Amino acid sequence: MLAIIPSATLHGLIGRFIQVEVDVAPGLPGFTVVGLPDTALQEARERVRGALRNSGFVHPPRRITVNLAPADLRKAGASLDLAMALGILLGSEQIQAGPDPVAFIGELSLGGEVGSVPGILPMVAALSRRGIRRVVVAATAVDEARLVEGLMVIGVDTLGEAVNVARARPRRHPGSRPPRIELMRSTLPAATLETDRSGSDGPGVPDLSEVRGQLEARRGLEIALAGGHGLLLIGPPGSGKTLLARTIPRLLPPLGDSAALAATVVASAAGEGPIQELRRHPPFRSPHHTLSYAAMVGGGPRLSPGEVTLAHEGVLFLDELPEFGHDVLEALRQPLEEGRIAISRAGHATIFPARFQLVAAMNPCPCGFAGSTDRPCRCGPSLPERYQRRISGPLRDRIDLWLAMPRVGPAALITGPEPEDSSTVAGRIAVARSVALGRPSGSLNGRLRGRRLRDACALRSNGERHVVGLAELEAATGRGTERLLWVARTIADLAGSAFVTEDHLDEAARYRPSDSRVAAMEAV
Amino acid sequence: MLGVGASGPVHADPPAPVSALPGARPTLEERDAWAVLAGVRGLGPVGFGLLLRRYGSGAAILREASSPGGARRLVEPEEASQGPAEPAEGVSQAIADGIARAADGAALTIGRIRSLGLAVVTVEDPLYPIRLTQIEMPPHLIYVLGSPGAMHAEAVIAIVGTRRPTDAGRAIAARLAANLAAVGASVVSGLAIGIDGAAHAATLQAGGTTVAVIGSGHAKLHPRVHGRLADAVVASGGAVISELGPDVEPSRGTFPRRNRVISGLADATVVIEAPARSGALITASWALEQGRECYLVPGAIDAPASAGCLAFLREFPDRARIVAGIPQLIDDLGLADHLTQPGVTSDVAATLTGVGEVAGRIGREIAVGRATVDELVASTGWPVATVLAALTILERAGLTVGAHGRFRAAGALAAADPDKSRQRPRTIV
Ligand SMILES: [Zn+2]
Repeated sequence: MLAIIPSATLHGLIGRFIQVEVDVAPGLPGFTVVGLPDTALQEARERVRGALRNSGFVHPPRRITVNLAPADLRKAGASLDLAMALGILLGSEQIQAGPDPVAFIGELSLGGEVGSVPGILPMVAALSRRGIRRVVVAATAVDEARLVEGLMVIGVDTLGEAVNVARARPRRHPGSRPPRIELMRSTLPAATLETDRSGSDGPGVPDLSEVRGQLEARRGLEIALAGGHGLLLIGPPGSGKTLLARTIPRLLPPLGDSAALAATVVASAAGEGPIQELRRHPPFRSPHHTLSYAAMVGGGPRLSPGEVTLAHEGVLFLDELPEFGHDVLEALRQPLEEGRIAISRAGHATIFPARFQLVAAMNPCPCGFAGSTDRPCRCGPSLPERYQRRISGPLRDRIDLWLAMPRVGPAALITGPEPEDSSTVAGRIAVARSVALGRPSGSLNGRLRGRRLRDACALRSNGERHVVGLAELEAATGRGTERLLWVARTIADLAGSAFVTEDHLDEAARYRPSDSRVAAMEAV
Repeated sequence: MLGVGASGPVHADPPAPVSALPGARPTLEERDAWAVLAGVRGLGPVGFGLLLRRYGSGAAILREASSPGGARRLVEPEEASQGPAEPAEGVSQAIADGIARAADGAALTIGRIRSLGLAVVTVEDPLYPIRLTQIEMPPHLIYVLGSPGAMHAEAVIAIVGTRRPTDAGRAIAARLAANLAAVGASVVSGLAIGIDGAAHAATLQAGGTTVAVIGSGHAKLHPRVHGRLADAVVASGGAVISELGPDVEPSRGTFPRRNRVISGLADATVVIEAPARSGALITASWALEQGRECYLVPGAIDAPASAGCLAFLREFPDRARIVAGIPQLIDDLGLADHLTQPGVTSDVAATLTGVGEVAGRIGREIAVGRATVDELVASTGWPVATVLAALTILERAGLTVGAHGRFRAAGALAAADPDKSRQRPRTIV
């Protein structure tokens, strides 16, 4: 007989409702899956067969046909295992269905255990949109599934438990909590949402009070985070640039509702489980420079999100920037310009969100010691400038603050003033960001363009002349002027000033690309 | 031990066969002919002198080379009528062919030189610097961008040193250059990064004239970051000169060879800082070899940037001289009474009057050696934002430069003497 079980698969970041139709009919024993399954999904047959046997059921020696509808959608992954197994049990009348439809999402082991799969959140959301009211997932995925409002979520550890749910009368599952968020709603009072801060308060995140000296770099970091500006830290080994960058997670304010939801969906699709709460802390990704192109942009047979998408609504930190592959850096062009990335696979393109703040670090020259007083640079005199000019094109345009970090002498390490801690600086950053977001443009300063940028800066006429003068310090491009205004606006926000003054502009000019300064330095 | 072996005066080349003929100024055609012949690979001073004696002029050599069968006649021995001791041979076939090719491409070569705005000055030319004619093996022509008069100043002093000076070394170079400018001396250097660049820039800042001798062709200027400095040298009445054709790339050999021109153009050479085996010591050796004065700034005995200077002073105790101070050096050079513009350099405070109180304070801190933002914040107690804004004001005024997170005085501030208020200078400092 024919059994129909609702389930879902993940396509990129999007969950898709899938109807698993299982027909168990007389005939030569066989197990066929139709409806555009990929090769990995064909292996589901082996898992289902083993799980049935090892859970005390019979894998019926009959002709089993599984159709996955809609048929025009290519399906991948193991999320349909559990639904197929239940379909076979119902189709071979080993069990009887309960009165209400239940959806099943989960991977089966040969031993019959139910495991979670990536993308529970978007998949359950898809079921919700199709009117499904009960869903069975792995016990480890229950919290994540319950982020979707309006469904009853039942967690199971084994196929046997899933069977009990399938034939049971619906009842409230013990321990289930009230649903908290409806996926499609974008604004909710923050108080109703629990926030997972584990990622930002974890032991791996250093506090700013651990960074001694480096006042210019600390200041630049504060400005960059307050305005959403791209940041490049340039300093010799031991100058503390990586330590400084790693303080970022504690300096950023928690994400708003829609950003938190987007970040959580990405984390879910990437299989970064278990997810228990909405991801309120902005993601902080720091891939190694040996990262492949595919790992940066995403894709692959299962359309996994890459680093640019994993950093969505957060920070992408690229340490040793010039060591990344040329194609890997080139791939940042589209996300930096559009806030998203298109991945083409098998003829059609998938769009992933990829709006992140870029933070990068590098040595001033190949040997690392240009400009150091305690160790000589072994590169030629013009090499540092050329090395920094490797940072070109889209990256160059998106780095608003270029910060040189000289090595801090041992005296400053011991006697310098007590550094501010992260929570003090985070407070100022949060205020400045809320000021920027409260302007008519409603965006961070680093994303302002043209007219809205000029309006936001509220320059007086002498300010305009000052901008022109400062832009000459850099071989003035339109981008140089914009960069100056963006950064100056953020400096004014941090100072609580409605207007951008000449002082703000003068400070902003300090953060211009360093290679223009290297050339000036060498020219005398 | 000083590294002045293979390319320096230890193995001096044979005497120049080309001598300066006083009086008659060569025609444009003749100068062009020399420039064309200068590009022939393998045609050195000996071969060139031989052909010049035989044909009477460069133009005649080229005419012969481009006439039918001319290349062969260049190779043939001379008629034996000139005396038994003369080596009566022509040039090799390969060189003769090269001359013929150069003659064919003469228009292109000349066009290239003209398009770059270069003047060709031959050793026969009255514009050729007289000091350079007095050295062994003077270049038989030089390419000049700018004013050849800058090489004819009453006093010409070379300032050379390492490409990686300390901030103190840079400051000494700048202050010396500014003082030399004030006494009307021309400053010669090599347009390199480091001491050379500081000397050129400070001379320009003080309104003086300076000559840059480059170790490549004019179209292959090295280092490229000094392109703007080279333009400024020319624009302010100085010159950028080379003995190499405009498209000759710099190479390992071109710089030591260039150094003999630097010392040869100058009455005296001053080495500011030189680590062991520095190219600046080659220039110092050339100066001694050429019978010119040579001064070296001593340093602490454990300072790597001064190791070469100290070794040289020890090696030539009778001839190499020590720089005991800038006023003392001006005096030793015999320039103390040449002072024409008193007060051209000034003290730090006067230099900083245009930039306002806040930037002025930061400028003073930098002048006494505070180099990083951390140090400036610590010494002033001001917020970092204030210090950063002040640095921009100073930079726009041309008084400081910064890279890699370190700042130092530039322009008039570099040339100003931070100790002026405490000393009674003998000359102008
Ligand atoms: Zn280096």
